[in-house]
Amino acid sequence: MDVELNHYLFVGAVLFVSGIVCMATKRNAIGVLMGVELVLNGANVNFVAFSRYTPLGIDGQIVSLFVIVLAAAEAAVALAIALSFYNNHLTIDVDRGDELQG
Amino acid sequence: MTGERFLFLLFALATCGGALGVVISQNVVRMAFSLVIALGSTSGLFFLLHADFVAATQLLIYVGGTLVLLIFGIMLTASGPYVRIKTSPADLFLAAGVGFLVLFMIVGTVMDVDWEQASIKLTGRAIAEKPIGYNELGQGNTARTIALGLIGSRPDKDLGQPAEKGLSTGYLLPFEIVSVHLLVVLIGAAYLARARRRVDSSADS
Amino acid sequence: MTLTPEQFSIVVLLTAAWLLPLLGFAIEVFGGYWQKSRHSKAAAGLAVACIGIGFVFSAGALAIGIDWSSLGDVVEVGPAEGPVPAELAHDEHEEPAVTLPIAGTFYLLGKFGSLELALDYYIDSLTLVMFSMVTLVATCIHVFALGYMSDELTDDHVDHQVHTAGGGHFHRPGRFYRFFSFMSLFCFSMLGLVLAGNVFMVFIFWELVGICSYLLIGFYIERKSATNAANKAFIVNRVGDFGFIIGLMIIFTYFGTFRFFNHEIDGRDVPGLFTMISRVDAEASGGHQPTGADNSQHDADAHHGPQRLDVDDARSVVFLHDRDGSRKLDDAGNEMSIPYWLLVAAGLGIFAGCIGKSAQFPLQTWLPDAMEGPTPVSALVHSATMVAAGVYLAGRFYPMFTPEVLLVIAYVGCITLFLAATIAMVATDIKRVLAYSTISQLGYMMLGIGLGGWAAGLFHLITHAFFKSLMFLCSGSVIIGCHHEQEMPRMGGLRKKMPITAYTMLVGVIAICGLAIPGTAIAFSGYHSKDAIIATSLAYMDANSVHFLLFLVPLVTAGMTAFYMFRLWFYTFAGEPRDQELYDHVHESPWVMTAPLVVLAVFAAGCAFGGEDGKLYRLISGSEPPHVAGGTVSVAAAGAEQIRMPSRHHIHGEVTAEGIPIVDSSDLSPHDKAGMYALIAAVTGTLVAYIFYGARVLNPDDFRRQFAGVYTFLVEKWRFDELYDAIFVRPVHVVAAWCTTIDRCCIDGLLHWMTRFTVDVSRWDRKFDEGVIDGLVDQIGNVTFSAGRWLRHVQTGKLRQYVMFLALGLLALFALLFVMFPA
Repeated sequence: MDVELNHYLFVGAVLFVSGIVCMATKRNAIGVLMGVELVLNGANVNFVAFSRYTPLGIDGQIVSLFVIVLAAAEAAVALAIALSFYNNHLTIDVDRGDELQG
Repeated sequence: MTGERFLFLLFALATCGGALGVVISQNVVRMAFSLVIALGSTSGLFFLLHADFVAATQLLIYVGGTLVLLIFGIMLTASGPYVRIKTSPADLFLAAGVGFLVLFMIVGTVMDVDWEQASIKLTGRAIAEKPIGYNELGQGNTARTIALGLIGSRPDKDLGQPAEKGLSTGYLLPFEIVSVHLLVVLIGAAYLARARRRVDSSADS
Repeated sequence: MTLTPEQFSIVVLLTAAWLLPLLGFAIEVFGGYWQKSRHSKAAAGLAVACIGIGFVFSAGALAIGIDWSSLGDVVEVGPAEGPVPAELAHDEHEEPAVTLPIAGTFYLLGKFGSLELALDYYIDSLTLVMFSMVTLVATCIHVFALGYMSDELTDDHVDHQVHTAGGGHFHRPGRFYRFFSFMSLFCFSMLGLVLAGNVFMVFIFWELVGICSYLLIGFYIERKSATNAANKAFIVNRVGDFGFIIGLMIIFTYFGTFRFFNHEIDGRDVPGLFTMISRVDAEASGGHQPTGADNSQHDADAHHGPQRLDVDDARSVVFLHDRDGSRKLDDAGNEMSIPYWLLVAAGLGIFAGCIGKSAQFPLQTWLPDAMEGPTPVSALVHSATMVAAGVYLAGRFYPMFTPEVLLVIAYVGCITLFLAATIAMVATDIKRVLAYSTISQLGYMMLGIGLGGWAAGLFHLITHAFFKSLMFLCSGSVIIGCHHEQEMPRMGGLRKKMPITAYTMLVGVIAICGLAIPGTAIAFSGYHSKDAIIATSLAYMDANSVHFLLFLVPLVTAGMTAFYMFRLWFYTFAGEPRDQELYDHVHESPWVMTAPLVVLAVFAAGCAFGGEDGKLYRLISGSEPPHVAGGTVSVAAAGAEQIRMPSRHHIHGEVTAEGIPIVDSSDLSPHDKAGMYALIAAVTGTLVAYIFYGARVLNPDDFRRQFAGVYTFLVEKWRFDELYDAIFVRPVHVVAAWCTTIDRCCIDGLLHWMTRFTVDVSRWDRKFDEGVIDGLVDQIGNVTFSAGRWLRHVQTGKLRQYVMFLALGLLALFALLFVMFPA
């Protein structure tokens, strides 16, 4: 059985879903960030798989490069926010950050 | 079982296991470790997909940069050794249910699509026809093409084409934008995380 | 009508005499403001001049209008009157110098269809005589007033009958000019009334005369009694005028015109009132031969028969006649007629005005109170002229009165003369006695007219004017001489100190009593005129024996008249003075006041010289309505209810009551019989007065005590004032109280309820506004707020929930797009 596109897409799906679940369940801010990374990686896997198995070509890989770069930037900023949150609330529990409720 | 298939299974299982490990583990450090495994395995998948530059970039930047950053963050925001933050089981159950649903949704969709027909419809070419310029034997030789594409020229598309077709667009503009973006993020993150007096738990400000 | 030069000159003279006092009034009214000093007698001089010149003009007109040499043959041949004094032979038909009556229009006021309202003149011999009398009496009184009102010629006149709050007497500037301006206005009004040619003009001047009377009675306006008296006079007159207006309305409706004389409207000949109401022969069956309409009818027989109104067979409708004597047709060709009862009503209505103006029963209460005015006013207005206007109108309007109306007039006069005479017997104020005497004599005049003695009543009017004004002026002279003392019990024996006044007063008293020396021609004027009236009443009683009271009462009253008049004279001028202090200060009046007394005394004595053969009577009787001389018969069937008015021949004994000529004239005629009875009554009254007050043989106080009840009743003037107060004044007060209550309770209550209601409505409105409308708006706001607050819970602020929602949204979107709507 050859490795087909669908297989890679399945892997990407798993990564994506676990990223979502991670975002939805983790109370630690860093945990949420990890979920974000997982989601982005799932998307990357999709992109590169398509670039290999379809006439998408090198465009898929360039796009995934961009995704990686932007994910890094976003992680930096999110971390800055999380640290700021931690400084203000003395805890990293995101459930404590509900001042915007109501 | 060919080597490709074996490697694929290996890397896929590692990725999925790492991802699941991130989800399941309660300790954030363990989560980080699982994430390292997941992202590393993803890089391996990339190598299998003939995306050598991307895989390398993944290892370098994602694993070596972003994850390290995350670990820094973990260490900076560490709570006491005996404080555990747990999610309620209801939330876990609900999240798991939703997750499975989404998974089924995606997988079901993926299974349903006829990639051959979709390719012909979208691009006019069959899947089997590899894109022009795609260097099949040059595994691990995508760096040059990517670099040229980022500068703005696309030899993989334009080389050998008739002159009337014109030049394809490159990715110069997004490259520049992302560069500026990174600058902005740099400054912003630096500002956001500037040194501030730490608020005491019994602060009276 | 085209006028001959004599007629024209008569018209001009009388118009000038009429308008001169108006000019005087205008000048005096405004001149009074501008003159510098209150000491000037210029106003009086102007007034005297105006009225004096008026007298000269009137006398001139009288001279022109009457053919003096053949005074007995005054033939007045005119369109509306064709009368001939019945006792004369009609063999002399010489054309007179002047044809009377002269009638025409001064000025047209307005035209309403066929009714023209205009200022007309109607001049016959009665008018000329009245003018002369009025102007002469007025001139004398003006001259008298020059002296009488001289205490007003000051800047500070003290009125002793008005008390100020501090207890002193009231001081005010004198009002000399105002008095004379009012008098001039009055003369103008009275002369206009006499001159009037239509009933409406009479009414206009009627009211004017009433106003002047009001102004003059209330001359001392600060005295409450004077203002009350003025109001009373005017209001009581007004009550009579109400009937007058009703009569006017009836006349306008059925006759269509107010004019007495025949005239032209738009080129058509329109008959006047007198022509329309002309009578027919009573004996002629069904025929309507009118009398007096045709110029050439001098047939003695036609005039000797009794006359009656032209009625239909059912005696319910009176037909009106045209100028040629036939029945008048209206525009549709039907015979114009008036229902009989309406003619009676019109007559009664006009007579009601006369009752008010001439102070007859029951409206006699105002005249005694009118003595509050100055004495010249009482002399001119309330004895000689204004109150005579009622009698004058009754005489002028005589043809319009049916015999039933005339009977009412006679009874009213009869009651009045008796009533007033009884009150005069016990009155003690000298002017009051004279006032009641005036009322009584006016009653005589009305009686005379009502009985068919047209000329007799008016004859008495003229003579009465002279002797009554004379007596009033004498009383004014006495009052001035006694320093404004009017009560007779405080006077006495004044003839030694005021001889001229006393003896001129005696002349007046003898005149009014009707004393004479029988068999000779020595008789003062009152004898002849009263004699004529009593004669007519005796003949009337002969003709209608049911109405015997109409003869007995005047006869008895003649005695009473003599009694109270001599009582007055003896009280005032004879005997011993009762108040010595008053007597010491008495003095005779200056010549400006006594000269008019003498002039009037001459006229009072001699104006009726010759009696019924004298010039005055013949002058008056020349204007007699044509149907009087032959006697009138009412339209009822022969029998008790028929009224038969005596003819001239009957009165003088030439025919019986039924009209059969008397051949044997050994019996006394009714005329002579009545003269005898009247003289006996007068002499009796004089003797009684002499016994009581002259020679003091009997003491009147004893009689007073004997008949105390009757005495009190008489002194209180038969309690008429109390009666009217109870009948009219109190109910008006009650009605006024009701009206006040209605106003206060109902109307104010309604208003208050409405305001409360409005306030309640506004309160409810506010509640509604606040509750419902504001509530609605508030509810909308609340609902929005609640919805917002409810929706706000979506934002929990929890990060993880947001992620969950994202994922769920993704699933839902996928389900929507690819499962529900797979396309």
